[in-house]
Amino acid sequence: MFEIGISDPFYEIKSKALIALYEVKDPELGVNIVDLGMVYNLEVSNASIILYMTLSTPSCPMGGLIISYAKIAIENALPGYEADIRLVWEPKWNYECISTEGRAALGL
Amino acid sequence: MLPHRQQVFSRAAVIPFYIIAALAFFLTTALCLFAANVFVGHFFQPKVLALTHLFVLGCGVMIIFGASNQLIPVISERKLYNERVLPVLVLGLLTVGTALLVYSFWNFLFTWYTFTGVACILTAILLHSLNLYSALKKAEERAMLSLIKTANVWLIFTAIIGSMLLINFRFPFLSVNHLQYLKVHANIGMIGWFLQLIVGVSSKLIPMFLLCEEPKEKQVFRIYYGINIGLVLFMINQIFFHSQIMNVLAVLIVITAIFFYGRYVYSSYVHSIRKQLDNGMKQTRLSFALLVLPCVLLLPLFVVGDMPPNFSLAYGFSFFGGFVGTIIMAQTFKTLPFIVWMQSVNENELPAKMPKDFFNEKLVRVQMLLYIAGLLPFVAGIVLKYAGLCYAGAALMAVATSIYFIHVLLIVRKKFANV
Repeated sequence: MFEIGISDPFYEIKSKALIALYEVKDPELGVNIVDLGMVYNLEVSNASIILYMTLSTPSCPMGGLIISYAKIAIENALPGYEADIRLVWEPKWNYECISTEGRAALGL
Repeated sequence: MLPHRQQVFSRAAVIPFYIIAALAFFLTTALCLFAANVFVGHFFQPKVLALTHLFVLGCGVMIIFGASNQLIPVISERKLYNERVLPVLVLGLLTVGTALLVYSFWNFLFTWYTFTGVACILTAILLHSLNLYSALKKAEERAMLSLIKTANVWLIFTAIIGSMLLINFRFPFLSVNHLQYLKVHANIGMIGWFLQLIVGVSSKLIPMFLLCEEPKEKQVFRIYYGINIGLVLFMINQIFFHSQIMNVLAVLIVITAIFFYGRYVYSSYVHSIRKQLDNGMKQTRLSFALLVLPCVLLLPLFVVGDMPPNFSLAYGFSFFGGFVGTIIMAQTFKTLPFIVWMQSVNENELPAKMPKDFFNEKLVRVQMLLYIAGLLPFVAGIVLKYAGLCYAGAALMAVATSIYFIHVLLIVRKKFANV
């Protein structure tokens, strides 16, 4: 699961972005994308935040909306920043990516 | 994948298909109640033909067309040829065509409106296939798309055979016995279109819903070849050879393909992350289990080499009313709330409601329980030639489908989510 080091120079910004992403839920599973382990990395450069994330499957019917909402969540939490969402498929998402909270929410 | 909110379909391209399909489902069961006594006779009867076509075209084909307008472009990552005008045209043609055809069968009158209805249905099927072909032709999911494409070819083929049979009623020209063609028409519709399409779509959606790694394409291709080889063999035999052994062989090949499909679904479940199934998936599992029923009803074919009419009718009813009916009921609540949700969420703010808030889980369970409680006695009534069981079964199914129809309307009106 993605974590932000306390020594990271953009710790505060990344933390705000990550907290905002807890509000973005997978509509089918009803669990947020952070606990599902779909957030891989966050990068900050000038006034933009790059989110590297994945989906449970490349042909996820809800993928477009999840990406849109991830962008809205970050931009609402960090006014003045533009969110750039980049989908990545490596490493492939699997059960191990889900946090303990995510597993509990899924009843696993 | 849908890249942007803007690419979500217009409501008219998808949702009216669900509403009309739910209404047709209810009308089928309600009319079964009025005509339950005819189910204890031969399958070649006006009212049986009318009710079969009302369910198959008005409900089955209708809901599949609507859902595929939404799902196929998403799964194949390609656009339809036309996203607005063609789906509405298909909806209108299929609705009018089905109404005219069902009226003709019910009254056993074959006049200009029968053939107008047939023309409307054929045009609707061809237009829908053309629309889908654009999204399917370059997609990468080989196994799933092979099943969907071939299913569409079989649909066109069975619609043509059905049209020929109707023309033959009025202007006899077929040399082979009418009932032989009817069996070909029915089985292509059941196995070539419905079963193959459901296998194709579910081979993708089941692993997706269960969060498991997609099983190998080879497994899906094995099912694909089994269904199609068995069906071609059956068709050739019915028209040209009339051999009992070939008939049994064809049926065995298809049953083996169904067995492989059952194994595929089971393997997806065993390897899934998500073991706790929601109601939609539990009911889908039930509909797969109900697929055993038509297979069992084929038993006389293996024992005495032929199918008595009551077993043929029970076989067809258990396939459509059992397998197809229950999978439609179950999958409505795995697709429609998501479609309505996508249509209604504001693209500039995070949604407060999720798709599961758009329907009532308890109602989903109740309507399925009532439906199964009606389906089983109805099929038993056909086999035992006992009309009382058919009346009781039809009454329960009509109650279940009326709840289902109202439920669909409430989802579309967003009554549960109150958004």
